[in-house]
Amino acid sequence: MQDFLELAVGAAASGCIYGLLALSYLVMIRPTGVINFAVGEWAMIAAFAGFLLLTGAHWSYPLGMAAIVAFMLVLGWATERIAVRPLLDAGAPVLAPILALLGMLVVFRESISLAFGPDPRQVPYPFGFGRLELGPLAGSYQSFFMIGVSALVFGAAWYFFERTVWGKCFEAVALNRRAAALMGINLSRVTALSFAAGSGIAGVAGILIAPNISAHYLMGVPLAIQGFTALVIGGVGRVEGALLGGLLLAFAEQLTVRYAPVPAGYAQGVPLVLLMIFLIVRPTGLLRARA
Amino acid sequence: MGGQLKHIVCAALAALLVPCAQAQDTIKIGVITDRVGPAKPYAEPITEGVVFGANEINAKGGVLGKKLELQIEDDQGKPDVSATMARKLVEDGAVFIMSLSLTPATQQAQTVTLETKTPQLTPSNSGDTLTTQINNPYFWQTGPLGSTQIATLLSYAKARNYKQVALVADNSDLGQLLAKFFRMGLEKQGIQIVSEELISRGATSAEPQMQKVRAARPQALVSAGVLTAENVLMLKAYRQMGLKMPILASYNFSVPVYMSVAQGLLDGVTFVDAYDPDKPAVKQFVAAFKKATGKEPWNLTGYGYDGIHLVADAIRRAGSTDKEKIRAAMQATKGLHGVMGSKDAAYGFAEGKRTGFDPNGMVVRVYEGDRQGRVLHVGLK
Repeated sequence: MQDFLELAVGAAASGCIYGLLALSYLVMIRPTGVINFAVGEWAMIAAFAGFLLLTGAHWSYPLGMAAIVAFMLVLGWATERIAVRPLLDAGAPVLAPILALLGMLVVFRESISLAFGPDPRQVPYPFGFGRLELGPLAGSYQSFFMIGVSALVFGAAWYFFERTVWGKCFEAVALNRRAAALMGINLSRVTALSFAAGSGIAGVAGILIAPNISAHYLMGVPLAIQGFTALVIGGVGRVEGALLGGLLLAFAEQLTVRYAPVPAGYAQGVPLVLLMIFLIVRPTGLLRARA
Repeated sequence: MGGQLKHIVCAALAALLVPCAQAQDTIKIGVITDRVGPAKPYAEPITEGVVFGANEINAKGGVLGKKLELQIEDDQGKPDVSATMARKLVEDGAVFIMSLSLTPATQQAQTVTLETKTPQLTPSNSGDTLTTQINNPYFWQTGPLGSTQIATLLSYAKARNYKQVALVADNSDLGQLLAKFFRMGLEKQGIQIVSEELISRGATSAEPQMQKVRAARPQALVSAGVLTAENVLMLKAYRQMGLKMPILASYNFSVPVYMSVAQGLLDGVTFVDAYDPDKPAVKQFVAAFKKATGKEPWNLTGYGYDGIHLVADAIRRAGSTDKEKIRAAMQATKGLHGVMGSKDAAYGFAEGKRTGFDPNGMVVRVYEGDRQGRVLHVGLK
């Protein structure tokens, strides 16, 4: 039982990261319909920014994190301006920006590879490398920090979509772009904001996970796949779905490795099996969008 | 006017060609390295060792009265590019090619050296089949074989009388291959694997695997992983859970990058290496390298340094830059002591063999703090 509770903290932390990446996908998909697989590379860029500012320049953690998130917002906005808007303005089908963003994925990854080389880089922990025991729950400081920050981000995202006029604008665009435009909603601005927010959220995921997995140029694609799987499980309709999908995926992964009586190699297949099951049985995910 | 310009250009070209003609008075050694690809962390320090060694040889008068001239090319770790670079080097007049890139790249470059009868040496690759898959009498390998690395680490495990161990690997091709060889070796020595775990590429936690290891209560943890980030993830979970069993790590842990990326996690980790910091030749090498470059060499730097000395020694004994004579001299190398290997280790090629690292020349070392420290075990005994 103690093992399970210990594992629960670690799995919840991993689940939060997957959830954040799923949320990053979601805030872009909802208003634009564009799946941006470069979210993992955004997380990687934030991780390297963490290496530069926190390890290299010794900035304080809050200041460094704020600077990185601000940078990521700008990067997301710039990505939309370069790879998405020209295509949407030209009336290209939605597949065109998806392919352009795949191209951006390669550009991001190769740029980081050229600038930093293939060696992993250490990114510091905000509270050091220690272990916290809260009653029966035990985990690293970082695990609890990841859970706390993710809760804040999800809370803010939920508040934005459910309680603000801008959130309603996003929802309106998601429901019907043309009608939303006719109602006076600025589609370009919503699209740009969705990419900036997506990049910011992916950046938070990158900074949070980097101290554990180190910043390296190949870290993006696995994160993008895990985030996408979480999104399919949770559903693209609601913010809570992204978090639920992330947590389910992480618990399934880690509980299988720990408890399933299968050889170590087979446990890796669990996320894929989950993805296939949801695509076949419930392609809309666990939580459906509100009518 | 046009004719005048032509004359000026011709004169300028002729002036430029004079130093080229003088430069013919050198012995050209081609070097194929990886500056941007996956082998970069290894290839870079090895290349520094080659350059330092060549400068040292040149400062002492060179070889056969001529300076060694290195021509360094980047193959990005790609086999096809490596073969192209080998051809370019041969066409540029290299009498010897040193391959410092990935094993498959070195393998591919052999197709060119075999065809053009150009001597080729890899001072660092560990693939067991480099000298057996292609019957290329112009190719030699003086890096320690993968099988020797595993046998040395297992010999250490046996000396410590371990009966039950955990085996942790990753899902990379090389990691799986290494795990397979470790499994076979452990079984052969009667050491039971009580927990076999796998950390997949891109994992965000290694806690479940380490929990299983903890539950199995092994006497030691054998790490066959080759992915640095995933190995660091394993170390983090190991430290977080306060695990105490010794870690016996593959050669991957001898790569210097661990000292920066796994700070605070390494103390006490044992790993197989081909470098003994207490060896007099190593101390001499470290002092000379520091003096010349202002920085400390890594163990990997020694491979390049030994490699260029092996090449220079063969050319010297051949007494000529004739590639066939160099081939014969290289094959006759025996008892050459270098920086790499244990105190008694020597390079040499047995009859019909082209692998030159002493099978008893590897060592098991331990991390002391974040530094790669002393030797705990030597060879296969």
